[in-house]
Amino acid sequence: MSTRDEVANATGEAKSWVLPVIAAALVVIVFASINARELDSIEARLLSGEEILARVGEHLRLVAISTVAVILLAVPLGVLLSRPGMRLLGAPVLAVANAGQAIPSIGILVLLAILFGVGIWMAVISLVLYALLPVLRNTMVGLKQVDRALIDAGRGMGMSARQVLVTIELPLAVPVMLAGIRVALILNVGVATLATYTNAGGLGSLIESGIVFNRMPVVLAGSILTVALALSVDWLAGVCERGLRPRGI
Amino acid sequence: MSDVMIRLDEVHKRYDGQAGDAVAPLSMEIREGEFVVFVGPSGCGKTTTLRMINRMVEPSGGRIWIDGRDVTDVDPDELRKHIGYVIQQVGLIPHLTVAANVGLVPKLLGWQRDRIEARTAELLDLVGLDPAAFGGRYPKQLSGGQQQRVGVARALAADPPVMLMDEPFGAIDPITRARLQEEFLALQRRIRKTIVFVTHDVDEALRLGDRVAVFGEGSRLVQFDTPLGILTNPADDYVRDFLGSGAAVRRLGLLNVGDLRKPEPADRLPLRVSSGDSVHSVLERMLRDGADRVIIEGESTEDDRELTLRELLMAGSAR
Amino acid sequence: MPFHEYVLRNAHRIMFLAAQHVQLVLLSVAVATAIGVGLALATERAPRLRSWLLSTTGVLLTMPSFALFGLLVPVLGLGLGPAVVALTVYAIFPILRNTVTGLETVTPAVVDAAKGMGMRSGQRLRMVRLPLAWPVILNGIRVSTIMLVAIAAIGAAVRGPGLGELIFRGLARIGGANALNEALSGVLGIVVVALLLDLSFVLIGRLTTPRGLHV
Repeated sequence: MSTRDEVANATGEAKSWVLPVIAAALVVIVFASINARELDSIEARLLSGEEILARVGEHLRLVAISTVAVILLAVPLGVLLSRPGMRLLGAPVLAVANAGQAIPSIGILVLLAILFGVGIWMAVISLVLYALLPVLRNTMVGLKQVDRALIDAGRGMGMSARQVLVTIELPLAVPVMLAGIRVALILNVGVATLATYTNAGGLGSLIESGIVFNRMPVVLAGSILTVALALSVDWLAGVCERGLRPRGI
Repeated sequence: MSDVMIRLDEVHKRYDGQAGDAVAPLSMEIREGEFVVFVGPSGCGKTTTLRMINRMVEPSGGRIWIDGRDVTDVDPDELRKHIGYVIQQVGLIPHLTVAANVGLVPKLLGWQRDRIEARTAELLDLVGLDPAAFGGRYPKQLSGGQQQRVGVARALAADPPVMLMDEPFGAIDPITRARLQEEFLALQRRIRKTIVFVTHDVDEALRLGDRVAVFGEGSRLVQFDTPLGILTNPADDYVRDFLGSGAAVRRLGLLNVGDLRKPEPADRLPLRVSSGDSVHSVLERMLRDGADRVIIEGESTEDDRELTLRELLMAGSAR
Repeated sequence: MPFHEYVLRNAHRIMFLAAQHVQLVLLSVAVATAIGVGLALATERAPRLRSWLLSTTGVLLTMPSFALFGLLVPVLGLGLGPAVVALTVYAIFPILRNTVTGLETVTPAVVDAAKGMGMRSGQRLRMVRLPLAWPVILNGIRVSTIMLVAIAAIGAAVRGPGLGELIFRGLARIGGANALNEALSGVLGIVVVALLLDLSFVLIGRLTTPRGLHV
């Protein structure tokens, strides 16, 4: 599962201005083509300005809520599982989480919808379940790779375990944790396109409607806008990642 | 012994975008069966020169002749199949067995299988490894010294007239290194290859080489002579510095007592030394200057003491 | 109907879809392997092109899969076409990346010695560098394969083949008697396929890793 980290690295290497420029160009292309074409009534309804804005809003809301929830859940859990008394539990938890990753995102979404009903909260739960692992794993890995000598030095200076965690371990683990959060964010943008199947909207519903009504312009517009959104979010995440990294690491 | 095996004619190397030559134009002749050692500090161009002979590094100019043939323009891969090449990191191919590593060049040359097997066994035997025990092992299962033995066997596989060796014993522990050097000298006495050997270790150069080429700063060849010649008549201060202290004692290692002639009696001035000098360094200086007495300087002239070489030897004796 | 009964009654169809799923994934991985390894070899002397390719294929991987399927449908129609192309696109990055890494991690001294023995560059690649890089390359192929097994489920949204169909049928019949059974058999089928493929890679790795590398 290290691929996703590598992806984060690889895209981080891409020239920083390329992604937003491509994203902006894609948006311009979509709106220019919408305006240039004769749209039938279905197309016109799905592709009106306010409809598209509403879809983007739904998409961003899903991603934002889920990502915050993932961070709030996975970081403390990761810290907890890295504490000396809990280490033994860490490996099996990771193994289970890793195996859970083999479940396709659409599967989680549909199973939850069938079992508990549809709606935005079901979508959020699916997104959170799916994106939990990268943050959890990177929190644990990030803490584990902190040089033991630094921790010893901290304890030797008379710091408590909590002080060592806050002043030494967590700051040093931040870069790895941020990489995991970025991966979770990218995953969430992707899985949120499927939220349409649990009636939670998002840009995926443009694609789905386009397929259902056999309107290729709608499928294309939805897909291109989704790609543009994904590229922008990834770019923003990369910028934040570089900005939030503690200096000197 | 007068046949020239390797002739370098104004060979030089210059890398793009770098001021100055990596190797300044160099000419030398290496005779058939001769063991020549290139020695010098790192960055002096000795390895680059070695690697130009099998064109691992393409010369920027000049010509290289091997066994009377100009090889400057021949196909380098073909050339390399007929030149043994041994490097410090050995570079055995890890997924091939020891036997397959040794038999690789013969295989590339299209030999029959039986012939390759026979040759492989013969070579492993030659370098002191039991073919039955080691042939089927993988490089990772060997110690560093054993790996380099295989490296030497591999280089000898197609019976090349010329062997190029780039610090082959450089990464091996001192005790094993000394043993490998001994064995290799014994091996060379049997096979009489023309060898070019690179090292930065002066002692190794003097011990192994029939002739030693001392490279200096700016990639120039400072002196090219027999070990005895270099120790007896260092070309300049650079060579003297490079040989370091103890050259006179080292030179003794290259002389056999049977070679000595009785010297003419001569009056020598005593050597003045201070009481803090080690006996070792005093003997070295006496040997260098041919002195047979020392005056150990005291606080004032009255405190000076004189010792003869004989007294010094007896006083310093372990008995 | 209890789940096990549903599975038994529909075993034939589930197996058929599972076989389709595997074929779709393996076909895409095979194409992606040819492209990924090929690109890695073709760009050995073009490091800037190579890093551009790595970034670009990496960015492609951040594209939501549903959107990529959506982009391909107007061009290739519904069904197998967009599924194979989209899956191939996703699979390239891990294979390309690992081929590059694998070739880079071959000890330079081994390649130097091989060159010094007179092996031509093609022989060095075939007899030395590729065998040594193979475990890393194979791992890239494994990662791609497991990833595709999950992504292929989404292909059913554009009428692609495979077990995703069961999930979408379950979705379409929410509230119906067999909705849960259908979706669950699709999801579990995919997990089983992923596990089996993962196991096969362990086996392939054992069988194809040159012996001298793991002694």
